[in-house]
Amino acid sequence: MPFNQKPQKFNAKINTVTVGTGDKAVTIGGNSTFPFYTFDAPTENRPKIGVEITDMGLDEFAPGIKAYYEGCTTMAEIAKKAAAMEGGDFVVLNLDGGDPNGVNKSTEELIAVVKEVAEAIDCPLVVEGCKNVEKDAELLPKVAEALQGRNVIVMSEKEENYKAIGAAAGLAYNQIVGAESADDINLAKQLNVVTTQLGVDAKKIVMNVGTATVGYGYEYVVSTMDRIKGAALSQNDNMLQMPIITPVSSETWGVKESVATEEDMPEWGSEDERGINMEVMTAAADLAAGSDAVILRHPQSVKTIAKMIDALV
Amino acid sequence: MAKFITIGERLSTTAPSVNKAFTERDPEPILKRAKQQLDAGAVYLDVNIGPAENDGEDLMKWAVKLLQENFDNVPLALDTSNKKAIEAGISVYNRSKGKPIVNSADAGGRIENIDLAAANDAIVIALCSADGIAADNDERMMHCQNMLERGMGLGMDPSDLWFDPLFLVVKGMQEKQMEVLEAIKMFSDMGLNSTGGLSNNSNGMPKNIRPIMDSALVAMAMMQGLTSAIVNPNDLRLMETIKSCDVFKGNTLYADSYLEL
Repeated sequence: MPFNQKPQKFNAKINTVTVGTGDKAVTIGGNSTFPFYTFDAPTENRPKIGVEITDMGLDEFAPGIKAYYEGCTTMAEIAKKAAAMEGGDFVVLNLDGGDPNGVNKSTEELIAVVKEVAEAIDCPLVVEGCKNVEKDAELLPKVAEALQGRNVIVMSEKEENYKAIGAAAGLAYNQIVGAESADDINLAKQLNVVTTQLGVDAKKIVMNVGTATVGYGYEYVVSTMDRIKGAALSQNDNMLQMPIITPVSSETWGVKESVATEEDMPEWGSEDERGINMEVMTAAADLAAGSDAVILRHPQSVKTIAKMIDALV
Repeated sequence: MAKFITIGERLSTTAPSVNKAFTERDPEPILKRAKQQLDAGAVYLDVNIGPAENDGEDLMKWAVKLLQENFDNVPLALDTSNKKAIEAGISVYNRSKGKPIVNSADAGGRIENIDLAAANDAIVIALCSADGIAADNDERMMHCQNMLERGMGLGMDPSDLWFDPLFLVVKGMQEKQMEVLEAIKMFSDMGLNSTGGLSNNSNGMPKNIRPIMDSALVAMAMMQGLTSAIVNPNDLRLMETIKSCDVFKGNTLYADSYLEL
């Protein structure tokens, strides 16, 4: 009997969200199939890749990543180099240094970094908070204000601070809101509901539904993303049709497989290769599970994932 | 599974104010009731213009255009015994939010409404009775089969026939209630869609009792596989029950604000 292909058609699609302005703007989402199911319908927009830098300069980067930025002394130079990375679509600025339990930089200091980075590049920009919900509630509205007109994604809007961040980024300064939950499908939906109830346009929201490094409880990530895509497409749930953007690198560059030196762990082989492998494996799995964009650091990872996307779309 | 489909029943000539507004082509009371129902979460709106023997075609066209222009092409159930009026309504109907529903056909004198739905690519409510209420489920399922075959013979997709077991009034026909629920299970086992005038069950009961009975019945009927009902969407208890059952059935993903969606 001949094989009779029956495409799986949905009367629903993931929202299309455009980040940035002008020629370099990128569009994420817009697809009406499961990830890379090009045999069901053509992929509207290929998944995108963000290149992550942090306000801490190169201090916290692994040696292999530092090597790429060699010679850069200012945040503007680092940002330019990130924007030029082969395979990258946008730059992501992580404001880690603001964490009160860490370096605790002031909001003013961080806004100066944000402005320096934004002025140095013309590609789309995404800004992540410092992981502390109170500090983010103060910091991220100022970020949204400082970047007016750039149509950036302001990440790290959580259940605890959605009012401050959602209202500033999504309403007052017309940026895109990145709603963050941690492998909790019901909360992911709830956060979209309450953010839209603030008056934020559903088409100006993207989701970070959480990730983990492969091998670290990663099954939850797959099931969360898979169920979100399923509800968005098969049940046409418009409170789950926001594109998913997943910060991969901030997870994968912290696990022991990525940070243990070759000196300490000679049997594990090259430190640089291990770090790249963890980042690439996690990003590939996130994309296959439903992420519409991933955030990476290492130039080799960015190049590899870009190649994978080219091959599959 | 898809979410339960509610068809708002409050635009009916049985309500004197609606009857008057239809007769006088007065948009305001019609739009007000439509908005109340849509705000409360109705998916479809039923447009019951009564027999409308004289000006049914003109009236149905007016009502369809009025409602769809004001409410983003809201999908409608066209409810009248005047077939020409239903066809006239479909001729001006915008399908972007869902096919029109022909309300209704039965296995007796109104069986030709299936032909009408087939000819117009519409959904049809197929009442499982012929001349009078079916005596038992053997008769109900015989009517169901007949109508299904007729529709499919005319090229209809089986999912476009929404079978109505005919909900019966508890006061007087209490002993028939489980049978109706069993019929819904049989439709569901056959993979068929179903609907019905659920609030029939509580006819004649005190006003404060009806939402309780209707909510209990809708939960039991959804458990049996009911996919839609013609209801008063402004009955908050009923709508909350339907939304909660949709969560239990996995028809929608739970979020703390699910009642507000």
